[in-house]
Amino acid sequence: MGSLYSDDPTWLHGVPAAIKLAFLALLGTSVFLTSQLVALSICAACCLVIFASLGSAAARAKPLIMGLLFASVLIGLFHAYMQQPMVGTISVLRLISTTLMGIALTLTTRHTDLLAVFAWLLRPLRFLGVEPERLSLQVALMLRFTEHFFVLWRRLDDAHRLRTGKAGGFKILAPLTIQMLVAARRVADTLHVRFRR
Amino acid sequence: MNTSSLSIALVSLFAALIAVFGLIPKIDLPLGVPITLQTLGVMLAGCMLGPKRALQALLLFLAAVAIGLPLLSGGRGGIGVFFAPASGYLIGWPVGAFVAGWVMHMLPRATPRGAAISAFVASAIGGLLVVHVFGVIGLVHIANLTWEQAIMGTLVFVPGDLIKCALCATVVHTVARGLPDWRFGG
Repeated sequence: MGSLYSDDPTWLHGVPAAIKLAFLALLGTSVFLTSQLVALSICAACCLVIFASLGSAAARAKPLIMGLLFASVLIGLFHAYMQQPMVGTISVLRLISTTLMGIALTLTTRHTDLLAVFAWLLRPLRFLGVEPERLSLQVALMLRFTEHFFVLWRRLDDAHRLRTGKAGGFKILAPLTIQMLVAARRVADTLHVRFRR
Repeated sequence: MNTSSLSIALVSLFAALIAVFGLIPKIDLPLGVPITLQTLGVMLAGCMLGPKRALQALLLFLAAVAIGLPLLSGGRGGIGVFFAPASGYLIGWPVGAFVAGWVMHMLPRATPRGAAISAFVASAIGGLLVVHVFGVIGLVHIANLTWEQAIMGTLVFVPGDLIKCALCATVVHTVARGLPDWRFGG
């Protein structure tokens, strides 16, 4: 499964992940603290300039940009319909600013660097059983399982189609879950043997 | 079997299940909020894993989304999705899974029928009510809707989510018969 990270080098690739995340958190908070149209317009324009400065790396995010445009148009139209064009404009400017910077961060930051920051951020959740040092292993396992279970889903669907002539749909959900849980036990045994924990 | 290894495997597996549900096409509604099967994964995680592991599975899934993996329905991913109108629902997923797991843990689950009924109740409280409360808060703050508009908007999802609660109960019932030693709710 491919990441949205872009290998095309840009100036933003050189900025540490923690700084980019802190900037994003600050931006996200700031745009929701103000409702001044001028300030939000300047902010959105700056975000657009920063995003455009990524050049060809930004092209990889085309589907995400289309999604952003779709959501912006829907929100704008909804507020226009409700006779609140100013509220709609403010919402769209906030959405554009934060989402563009979120996409820029994703495009220019390796997932291993972000994982390291998240592992640090998740440390306070230890009392809930969250073990940040496991994060990389679990993400890797999750990706492996995602592909495995998608194949399993299709196999069960094919088998159901052969038997009944119809697609399996939700009927294969329960057998898929049972096979998953059995697989989880096998994987747990393997992990125990491999890591002794 | 070691509990720690089992936790790693189950947490990763349920995060993967939610990702697999994301591969099934979504339906977009007005306000930019999509109907996806991934909320069924939230309900299943709570009922099957219990509160702590369900919370971990959802945090793992959201961490994977945040680092840029296109795991949300429609191939969406990255930090940007946490600023979209539907982000309240996303943030509500781990809390909803935790609450569903906790409710499941509190309710009777000794027989397959009892487990299925408990799963329906747990899914409705955690996977539906809690997630929608977070979703409404997100819609109010990000899409600038009034509380009434946001509540009316979110009500569109309720019938579909009730079907997902029933599906979750059916899966729990089948698993209770197929794997009698499985500990629902942790």
